[in-house]
Amino acid sequence: MKQFLIFTVKTLVLLFLLLVVLDFLYTTVYLQSSNRGKIDYVYNSVERDYDVVILGSSRANNHFVAPMFAEKGLKTFNYGMSGGHLFEASLLLKLMVERKYTIKNVILETDLNLSNEKRAEGIAAKFLPYIHNSEITKNHFSTEKDFNELYYIPFYRYVAFETRIGFREMFFNAIHKKTNHLLNMGYSPLGNGKGNMKNNISNLKPLRNKYYEEIRQLCKDNNINLISVMTPMCSNTKGLNYFDKVQQLYPEIHNYEKAVEGDQYFSSCGHLNDTGARLFTSVIIKDFFNK
Amino acid sequence: MFFNSFSFAIFLPIVFVLYWFVFNKTKSTQNAVLIIASYYFYSCWDWRFLFLLIFSTFLDYYTGIRIEKTKTELGRKFWFWLSISVNLGFLGIFKYYNFFADSFSELLNGFGLQTSPLLLNVILPVGISFYTFHGLSYVIDIYLKRIKAEYNFIDYSLFVSYFPLLVAGPIERATHLLPQVKVKRSFDYQKAKEGIFQFVWGLVKKVVIADTCATYANAIFDNYESMNSLSLLLGAVYFAFQIYGDFSGYSDMALGMSKLFGIDLLRNFNYPYFSRDIAEFWRRWHISLSSWFRDYLYIPLGGSSGGTAMKVRNTFIIFLVSGFWHGANWTFIAWGFINALYFLPLLLLKRNRSNMETVSLYWDLNSVKVFFSIVSTFALTCLAWIFFRVKSIGEAFEYIGRIFTNRIFESQYLENERYNYEIIILILAFIIVEWNSRTKVDPISGKYSYLKLTFCLAAIVALGTYSDYKEFIYFQF
Repeated sequence: MKQFLIFTVKTLVLLFLLLVVLDFLYTTVYLQSSNRGKIDYVYNSVERDYDVVILGSSRANNHFVAPMFAEKGLKTFNYGMSGGHLFEASLLLKLMVERKYTIKNVILETDLNLSNEKRAEGIAAKFLPYIHNSEITKNHFSTEKDFNELYYIPFYRYVAFETRIGFREMFFNAIHKKTNHLLNMGYSPLGNGKGNMKNNISNLKPLRNKYYEEIRQLCKDNNINLISVMTPMCSNTKGLNYFDKVQQLYPEIHNYEKAVEGDQYFSSCGHLNDTGARLFTSVIIKDFFNK
Repeated sequence: MFFNSFSFAIFLPIVFVLYWFVFNKTKSTQNAVLIIASYYFYSCWDWRFLFLLIFSTFLDYYTGIRIEKTKTELGRKFWFWLSISVNLGFLGIFKYYNFFADSFSELLNGFGLQTSPLLLNVILPVGISFYTFHGLSYVIDIYLKRIKAEYNFIDYSLFVSYFPLLVAGPIERATHLLPQVKVKRSFDYQKAKEGIFQFVWGLVKKVVIADTCATYANAIFDNYESMNSLSLLLGAVYFAFQIYGDFSGYSDMALGMSKLFGIDLLRNFNYPYFSRDIAEFWRRWHISLSSWFRDYLYIPLGGSSGGTAMKVRNTFIIFLVSGFWHGANWTFIAWGFINALYFLPLLLLKRNRSNMETVSLYWDLNSVKVFFSIVSTFALTCLAWIFFRVKSIGEAFEYIGRIFTNRIFESQYLENERYNYEIIILILAFIIVEWNSRTKVDPISGKYSYLKLTFCLAAIVALGTYSDYKEFIYFQF
């Protein structure tokens, strides 16, 4: 039995060492990467200058045509991320500030994502490789329920989110395989998809959102002009009074829900197609940058 | 509580410590620990079905004694058939009632009689097919005077409910397991170490092979209408490795952890995808079930001792029943039927026992033939697995039809956000490892075991699929 206990302890030590080594290897690879997605593109960067930075979910990523801003002479990048919540937008902006980005304006898509303060698992996971190397990332995750496991158990985060930051993603990072997330200055155009042209948002309730307020404070502290906007939905949406509730809660958020009307401009109910996005962007440029 | 869950990682060491350090004085205390642990393990799924398990155990225990004690043949028959009918009755109600009611209603509808079947809203108790078969073999063996009845209820309960085999086998025999639980077990370091190796290899099969293949197989089978020929072919291969990794992985974990308690369980898999014909495949796949049907169904029906017609009849019966055992769906029956068709030529040509020795390949012409026989057997198996995986027989024919009619053999992006070919290297690596260890129980034991253990542990943590968790397939049976 003594022999077996020694064998078991040896095996457990071996497992622990493996976890430490793998954690180190994966993290090292992620620290070298800057062309797979918007998070590593920011994390592994220094001092960029922008006239306009766009933040938010897919409703920012697919709605703000960054090259149209560039045509107006505005240095712009669309950092909207499909599936992202304000949790990730706030952290991304914190990292930009830490890296001494000079940003004149932040356009923040602030509508449906105001209704929750949870992290978006698939997007938030992409920050986790840096949790030991970035105090900001660590602090941002510190209130999460699984923070202790994510921070203290070596390699746990790579196992728990293996589809996002596991072996496959690490391998693609190691061989510097590019994605299309950074093309078109971060804007991702949608075609005339066969998406669902109806939606029901009547159950959503806008919150006094912790992460929105973090972004607001961050912009104020760093002299960044924050332009918070609500973006269009298709006509067949139940519960559109949600947008009025948002404005009651936060009067400074501009309501552009009706800026583009007509289902021909939508790829799915919550997402404009490229034509719709161009119409919408021209409205935004006209209203905020035509001086 | 699954073998690959966090809760089980706490449960197993606790039971191990209690078994070897606290209650290790006598065989009775050891058995008591295992019984309590087994009942706790089972109740983690649904405590209500624990009563069914205990009732089934008591029924077979009691009827076994009555069969042995009753002097008259009529009395023996009474107790025997009471046990058989109650056991099969439970199985019928919980597993097959809705299938029969639905099929009968469809038949009547086919004759123009509109009926709506009275379906029961019951969930299938986990492991019912396995522990029912334990009990059945025990009662049949006593009735046929092959074994003596067990008078110690705790020992008998452990034979039926021993947690490593409780929910998905292997289906044990009283002649093999009961003698082991009737003596005090002493700790054997080598056996326990082998147990750890086998458990770890089972975990590799489950989380690295089966669960990874599952994400691809599901993405292909669930969207087969939009898949090209290459994806459909790969889908069948991925499912073949999913079900093999899942079930043989579970069996390895069960056998491995049982060795930690000093108890050997029956081997359930013996590298079935290296079989050279279907008969060999069935000697290597789910061995405990195949041998159960052979001993308790095929041989009593006359086996292969009668004329050709009887052999053919018995072959079809055993394969159809085996298919139906897996689940109440025509797809499983079709799967059994296809395997019977595969088996038939071998039986008629008396070549069903021609590949008994371990397969080897050399650089000669004969090995080319052997290689192609392995590949063709695997291809036939994959074709049959399609029927096992789909929801209806019609869907299976559509799936197979599309392989031949689509004729596009190129990469395709799947719903799981991966390309259809991405895990081919992983599968090839797995095949090479299995091939090199085909004469052993697991690939880790033997020379350089620590190095191999390191690779396996690294594979489990780095290559395993965790976020898209899959239950063991055979739990549903």
